[in-house]
Amino acid sequence: MSRLISTLWAPDGLFAGWPPAVLDPAGPYAGSIAVLTWVLFAIALLVLAVVGTALWIALWGKQRTRQRLGGSRLIWIAGIAFPVVVLTLLLVYGLRLTSSLSAGTGPRTDLRIRVTGEMWWWRVAYLDAEGRVVSWDANELHIPVGRTVELELESADVIHSFWVPRLSGKTDMIPGRRNLIKIQADAPGVYAGQCAEYCGGPHALMGFVVIAQPPADFARFMRAASHPAAPPPSPGRQLFETAGCAACHRIAGTPANGMEGPDLTLLGRRRTLGAGILPNNHGTLMGWIGDSQAIKPGNRMPPFSMLSSAELDALATYLEQRK
Amino acid sequence: MTSETGFDPNLYDRFPTSGPRPENELEELERIWRPPSGWGRLGIINNNYIGIWYIGTAFLFFLLAGILALVMRVQLALPLQGVLSEHQYAEFFTMHGTVMMFLFAVPMMEALGVLLLPQMLAARDLPFPRLSAYAFWAYFAGGLSFFASIFVGLAPTGGWFMYPPLTSSVYSPGINADFWLLGIGFIEISAIAGAIEIIVGVLRTRAPGMTLDRMPIFAWGMLVFAGMVVIAFPAVILCTLLLELERALNWPFFDPTRGGDPLLWQHLFWFFGHPEVYIIFLPAAALVSSMIPALARTRLVGHNLVVIAFLATAFISFGVWAHHMFATGMPLLSIGFFSAASMAVSVPAGIQVFAWIATFAAGTPKFNVPTLFVLGGLVTFVIGGLTGVMVAMVPFDWQAHDTYFIVAHLHYVLIGGSVFPLFAAFYYWTPMTSARPLSERLGKWVFWLMFAGMQVAFMPMHLSGLMGMPRRVFTYLPGRELTATNLISTVGAYLLAAGVALFLFDLARSFRFRMEGNAGNVYGGGTLEWLPTGSYSSRSIPLVRGRQPLWQDPALADDVRDGRYFLPRSATGFRETIITSPLRAEPEYLEIMPGPSGWPFSAAIFTALFFMLMTVQAYGVALVCGAIAIGCVLRWLWDTDRPVAPEEVDAGGGIMLPTYVTGPRSHGWWAVVILLVVIGMIFLMTVFSLVYLFGIHPRFWAPVPPLGWLAPILIFNAGGAMLVLTARRLLCRGTTLWTPPTLMLLGTPMLALALALDFWSWRSAGFDPQLTAQAAVVHAFMAQQAMLCAVSLLMAFYIAARASRGMLTAPRSNSFDIATIFIVYTAAQGCAAALIVRALPTAM
Amino acid sequence: MRSWGLFLGGLLVWAAQFLLLYAIGSILLTSLPARLLAGLITIVAIGADVWLILAARARLRTGRDRLDRWMAALALTIAALSLVAVTWQGLPALLA
Repeated sequence: MSRLISTLWAPDGLFAGWPPAVLDPAGPYAGSIAVLTWVLFAIALLVLAVVGTALWIALWGKQRTRQRLGGSRLIWIAGIAFPVVVLTLLLVYGLRLTSSLSAGTGPRTDLRIRVTGEMWWWRVAYLDAEGRVVSWDANELHIPVGRTVELELESADVIHSFWVPRLSGKTDMIPGRRNLIKIQADAPGVYAGQCAEYCGGPHALMGFVVIAQPPADFARFMRAASHPAAPPPSPGRQLFETAGCAACHRIAGTPANGMEGPDLTLLGRRRTLGAGILPNNHGTLMGWIGDSQAIKPGNRMPPFSMLSSAELDALATYLEQRK
Repeated sequence: MTSETGFDPNLYDRFPTSGPRPENELEELERIWRPPSGWGRLGIINNNYIGIWYIGTAFLFFLLAGILALVMRVQLALPLQGVLSEHQYAEFFTMHGTVMMFLFAVPMMEALGVLLLPQMLAARDLPFPRLSAYAFWAYFAGGLSFFASIFVGLAPTGGWFMYPPLTSSVYSPGINADFWLLGIGFIEISAIAGAIEIIVGVLRTRAPGMTLDRMPIFAWGMLVFAGMVVIAFPAVILCTLLLELERALNWPFFDPTRGGDPLLWQHLFWFFGHPEVYIIFLPAAALVSSMIPALARTRLVGHNLVVIAFLATAFISFGVWAHHMFATGMPLLSIGFFSAASMAVSVPAGIQVFAWIATFAAGTPKFNVPTLFVLGGLVTFVIGGLTGVMVAMVPFDWQAHDTYFIVAHLHYVLIGGSVFPLFAAFYYWTPMTSARPLSERLGKWVFWLMFAGMQVAFMPMHLSGLMGMPRRVFTYLPGRELTATNLISTVGAYLLAAGVALFLFDLARSFRFRMEGNAGNVYGGGTLEWLPTGSYSSRSIPLVRGRQPLWQDPALADDVRDGRYFLPRSATGFRETIITSPLRAEPEYLEIMPGPSGWPFSAAIFTALFFMLMTVQAYGVALVCGAIAIGCVLRWLWDTDRPVAPEEVDAGGGIMLPTYVTGPRSHGWWAVVILLVVIGMIFLMTVFSLVYLFGIHPRFWAPVPPLGWLAPILIFNAGGAMLVLTARRLLCRGTTLWTPPTLMLLGTPMLALALALDFWSWRSAGFDPQLTAQAAVVHAFMAQQAMLCAVSLLMAFYIAARASRGMLTAPRSNSFDIATIFIVYTAAQGCAAALIVRALPTAM
Repeated sequence: MRSWGLFLGGLLVWAAQFLLLYAIGSILLTSLPARLLAGLITIVAIGADVWLILAARARLRTGRDRLDRWMAALALTIAALSLVAVTWQGLPALLA
């Protein structure tokens, strides 16, 4: 793992943990939960204060006050009536909020993306109005700012859970089922996401990013993504199609059509490698292809240590240009 | 006064009796209850010894699982540490959770029940002392060999709730997951045995006069605990069974491509898993409620409300299982129902917390070590309870679920609600079994280290979770500011560990096991466990006239020691205790108890071997061990159910009690009825699985075999049951010789025949359990029925064997009754299963 | 059995209501019939609790001995608390 330390994600402010993501919402779905969280914290502190005061008096209070507490009246007032009132209010609030946040309610959206959890990465499919796949991507979701996007969450193998704390709560991806979730970002930016349900192996290193763009930029991205240009012949391309990469990876417009692993048609655009854990640049790309097992042990991509550094360089160059 | 058994309560006025007791009575009692020495200790049948061993073993598992946690904290202290590989880390967190839940918390509660209950109820022992020994040894052997799997890299890696499909044979090849499924399934059986023992013990072996309203609060807690175990554990037994069937035989219960559903596991598991939390918390809360009156030197304020809180928790906790599944996309309305129940379940906790505070206010608390642990536990538990209310709010749970916020929440609840109370209990009750109490001076260090360590370790985890750290990650990336909170957590974990280490040091220094000549009632408790005792428990069994008998009658201890109450001697020359009625605790009869025996020990060892060899797929040897285990059980039963010569004896004060009772009043009848509740719950959970899978994937469901098959299946089952019932009636009429056992031997195979027909009907209709979940569930029903039939047959042969040796008492025999109940139940379940699996697809 | 029935009555009512609501929520999902049915069951459960409260109060007066009255007193409190729980349990039908 020592090699890991030198290669993995260097801090660049993109994934800053502070302020805590849950309390730093970037859209309405996470926003109302953040408000709820503050309300819950306030109530919890209030109740803790009540309990603490009662306990303090019970232990160190004046004899008369203590005796007044020392009967079942205290239980009825502080242990039954008080919680019942607070909990009733909370229940009503919670039920209302749950219902307003649920994917099944509210206006339908015209923008749908299907995200499939795989061991240990995310398959992304942009859908048209009829539910057909317009373009494939992986480990990165582009969404337009200010618009609600509906996600279809599925799983290809075991249970995963889709979570972008700054945009919404999490929803499980369960084999044999399709769950819906709505997300929306109100400001352009890159939002970190993470698998939240233990899915074996390198579950800890199964991240992704959501990129919220102004509508014009998003439209441009969708145009480019749905009509990728066929790459010209190059040493890198030839290597890609002969060294084994094409068995698992697809690049639109080429014979490389493997669907086992992430689609690489748009790899050059991605911010990250290895499902949200490495910055995407020439060097990391070479390192990942050469021996991804040293970076993300247990992932499904075999090491390509037989390739020379010149070959890795050519492959990385070819892939970088896939935008 | 009214009576439930016809006992005249005015007879109670005879106690305490006056006049000296004969000299040799006490020596006789000591002789009868003297435990064997040397290797014979393995055959000790006595709750005082078994209880201490049980507690020691559970504590050992607490230490082992704690060490795993410490290693994990080193791995997480900084980002990208290489102390553990991801696979090892998965083994560690799976074992930590599993061992803490299944090998420490639940067994520890049962162990305390085994040690304390007979003392508090002033019974000589629990009603089935050999079952206690069996449950302990099974747990001891099974638990240790399960834990050993981590040393050879075979420990399970699926997390303590083992969600499929990650734990299916596709994604978890190798026998790691099988260790979990078979190991835990096996330990559950031991837990259920303990629960049956505790229910019958609390309801039937209380000292005379200890009516329900005078029952010690700990006994209430244990009664509710055991009731919950009986209802909840069948669900986990069933889901481990189903997953093991899926792994071993490819029956697709959880595979959506063949009509199964991974969420079925989650429903079954959490139907057990959430009550499990309260199963751990309630006995600990009951310990607190029993200690606080002594620590604050006053009665428990709101005793009745606390009893209500126990009962309410027991019920409502079964309605909250799906709050572990809010993120799975359940229907909105269902989510609402579970959210409401999750709110409701926090009210009983509030009742208890304020009952404790009110009791402290009413009394004069002294800040000794048990008090500190009780207070520390209270504060910690309240914080955990409040974060619990937070996650019961569905939208917040969508954020907090499966993050370190939950890790923090559950450790606050379990350490505050269970571990700190346990340590208070260790300090409080050690003087009862040790020549010296634990040190007050060191104890304060222990407390402050543990309390501070707990807060430092787990408080920052709330923040880690809100910052986006999911649980069960073997590492995290740098640059996300998770390092600070994690490093602090690690420091806290080692503070906590330092406290535990200091406790161990004190334990080694001060604890010296003694039955007699122990340090005694250091904290001035008022309940019966503080009576002077020997290995026979108290010399005589007192008449209980209040909730704190020792406070109400200062002379009680001396009178009991001088034999002025019930049973001041062995009335029959055997070990015995008084069986009383469930509500009013009126004396009903004397139970003759079995003495030391090696058979429960060997039965437990071979049962453990059976399960372990099954896991490593040495099926042949495993079956041999299983057969030997059954042989040992039958051999131990052989000694039981033997009436003694005097049919009635003087149980003290001239009150005559019978020495052999059959029918619904007997303790054996009660135990078998509770056992059938367990089996019935497994059956009901299977019915739930059937309905659930049908609802999820109806398109996978095929038409059932022709309904005409039902006629012979039902007739054979009913016929078998009728024959067995007739056999019992004949026995009651005094028919001796061979007729009743022969009828039983004839009737029981008819059930097996009915099962064979059922099986044939499905096979001939082309149902293959590997093809669809429907066929798999149908076969799961039949597999259960096959097991019941096998046990029924075994019982019928056992009865015949007893009859052949002239050991079948007539006109009534407990052994015969129990076999009859079991066989008739088997027939009924056979009919019900055959009907239900056909009715559902047909009706739709 | 009868004494246990009254003693635990409030909790049994809650359990029965919860099981029915769970079945309704699972079978009819989030629909209007589900809400109506859930509401109806809640009203029945509230009625059952009120009946239990009256029965327990009567028992409290007529109880033959200390234990009888003790069980009646607990039954009364349990039924009263059950009234709260049952009402909460019905709220999602209105609000969710």
